[in-house]
Amino acid sequence: MNAAGLRHERRLLLRRLALSAPAMATLAVFLLVPLGIMLLVSFLQPGDYGGVKWGEYSLEAYVNFLYERDLDDSLVFNTDYLQIFQRSFWLSVLTTAGCLLVGFPTALYLALQSERRRNLLLLLVTVPFWTNLLVRVYAWILLLRNGGLVDSGLEALGLVHGGDLNVLYTDVAVVIGLLYTFLPFMVLPIYTSLEKLDWRLVEAAYDLGATRRQALRRIIVPLAMPGIAAGTILVFIPSLGNYIIPELLGGGKALMIGNLIQLQFGTAHNWPLGAALSFALLAFVLLAMLVYSLRFKGAAAGGHP
Amino acid sequence: MSSAIGIERICMEFGEPGQGVRALDDVSLDIRANEFFTLLGPSGCGKTTLLRLIAGFEQPSAGTIRLYGEAMQDLPPFRRPVNTVFQSYALFPHMSVAQNIAFGLEMRGLPRAEIDATVQRMLALVKLPDVGRRRADQLSGGQQQRIALARALANQPKVLLLDESLSALDQKLRKDMQMELKRLQHETGITFIFVTHDQEEALTMSDRIAVMDKGRVLQVGTPSEIYESPVNRTVAAFIGETNFLAADAADAGLRLGDGQVLQAPTPLRGAVTLAIRPERVHLDPAGELEGVVEDVVYVGTDTVYHLNVAGQGGFRVRRQNHDGAVAAHAPGERLRLRVPTAAIRVLAE
Repeated sequence: MNAAGLRHERRLLLRRLALSAPAMATLAVFLLVPLGIMLLVSFLQPGDYGGVKWGEYSLEAYVNFLYERDLDDSLVFNTDYLQIFQRSFWLSVLTTAGCLLVGFPTALYLALQSERRRNLLLLLVTVPFWTNLLVRVYAWILLLRNGGLVDSGLEALGLVHGGDLNVLYTDVAVVIGLLYTFLPFMVLPIYTSLEKLDWRLVEAAYDLGATRRQALRRIIVPLAMPGIAAGTILVFIPSLGNYIIPELLGGGKALMIGNLIQLQFGTAHNWPLGAALSFALLAFVLLAMLVYSLRFKGAAAGGHP
Repeated sequence: MSSAIGIERICMEFGEPGQGVRALDDVSLDIRANEFFTLLGPSGCGKTTLLRLIAGFEQPSAGTIRLYGEAMQDLPPFRRPVNTVFQSYALFPHMSVAQNIAFGLEMRGLPRAEIDATVQRMLALVKLPDVGRRRADQLSGGQQQRIALARALANQPKVLLLDESLSALDQKLRKDMQMELKRLQHETGITFIFVTHDQEEALTMSDRIAVMDKGRVLQVGTPSEIYESPVNRTVAAFIGETNFLAADAADAGLRLGDGQVLQAPTPLRGAVTLAIRPERVHLDPAGELEGVVEDVVYVGTDTVYHLNVAGQGGFRVRRQNHDGAVAAHAPGERLRLRVPTAAIRVLAE
């Protein structure tokens, strides 16, 4: 390449850097800096009344995550925190599966409507975002509590007899709340990939002898995979770290990771442990994504059994 | 020859009954087994709708579609022994070429070994034996076309439907594929129903052609019947080049506007239109028709003379350049033309 060409290349590169600079700066200030501070905090000693003792470094927080200090100061393996991680994981998996089960047919239905109807229905999907999440979660409390709308409704229909529903402040209520909150995040990406789908491919599948079910399984679902993957990630990760739903619908009994972290920064006055738990969560999410992307890649390349 | 597809009084309306758009208006056709049958017409004439009815993607508003005598208009597409090559090819982008071809066979639940053997045979049939492992979108347009054919033929349909299947290809590839399609049709013995708006393509490939316009079938016949004996002005104008002359039919012959008379037998009387193909007219000093040269256009294989005949301009005479380019007649010159009786088609409109 000649000198003029090189200069041109360099100008292009500079321009690209200049264009991406605001985004980079925003990321640096609002993501990397707080993460750095959290990382630092996780290696410090907790202050006596909250906060941290600056300059006193310690691995105590990470040790506390897995071990308990016995009376004689010896370390005993403690699975309490891990159990909360595990519970959070399964509740999030259930939520994601539920969102997928409800969200995929919804997205498919949306994609099959006429354009005008489609836009109206899409608007309806996003309507919940217009109200504060807290208000909507309190509404669920009113719905799910004993003697609430669901309870009395079921009784009126004769589906349950006497006694209380006892759903509120259980894992079931938490999953219902998470599912409700994150459903749009599953519907929208799947809808986006189905909307782009060339329906002539489905016609071609019918033409080649595929029934509706076979066309769904072999053509529509594989081609909607990018949307399904995006939806799964958008539901699973925020569910895993969610704080408000288990706080209100789990009633503080059904703890999830988010509540545990909040507890450390709040009443437990143990910021380093809270920070360490946050990093454990981050590591856990990254690990889950890694496993998922490997599985997903395999499924996409495999094609047929 | 037995009937492969029988179309009986098919009507197709989109929208509200009675006031919707009539895509097909009382269409009846009989397509014979092992025939290369073409539906030819301008866009919007209903040819693609008819094809989609045969495939089962649409339901007719009225009428019957028979396959080897059995009514099949109520069967869903996946139960019809009919396969389609789509205009856009519609190859599955998430599958390899081999998986695409295997799809129909898998749907029928054939054993793996048989499927693999058929896939190889189909790839060989379309002369692309080595592309099985590639993804469909890694192939060129012409190759995708062949794979779409292979995928449809793998199912051994009784009837193969081809929807404007060559229109996306460039000129050269198109000519090759025309021959290829004829070869495949001969080798497989399957009935081909081909939809096109390209009259040259239709004439080249078909055993028989149905010319369609505005939801109706205007004429069904062999390429030479359609070309030589068009039933009306629309067909004559759509297929090839045609000169139209207004005339008055009487016992004495066909009198043109300026009093010249041509002879051709016809039962018609009164105002008629004469359809005359440019290549059937000869420049001949002893000819019965006179015209004034407007323009002479050299087009390589031919020289085309544009003449004013009986006060009407744009009458074309096509002369093959057997002896190379001959700069003969100039604009303004009077020429005599010989029009054989058999070259004159007398039409009522």
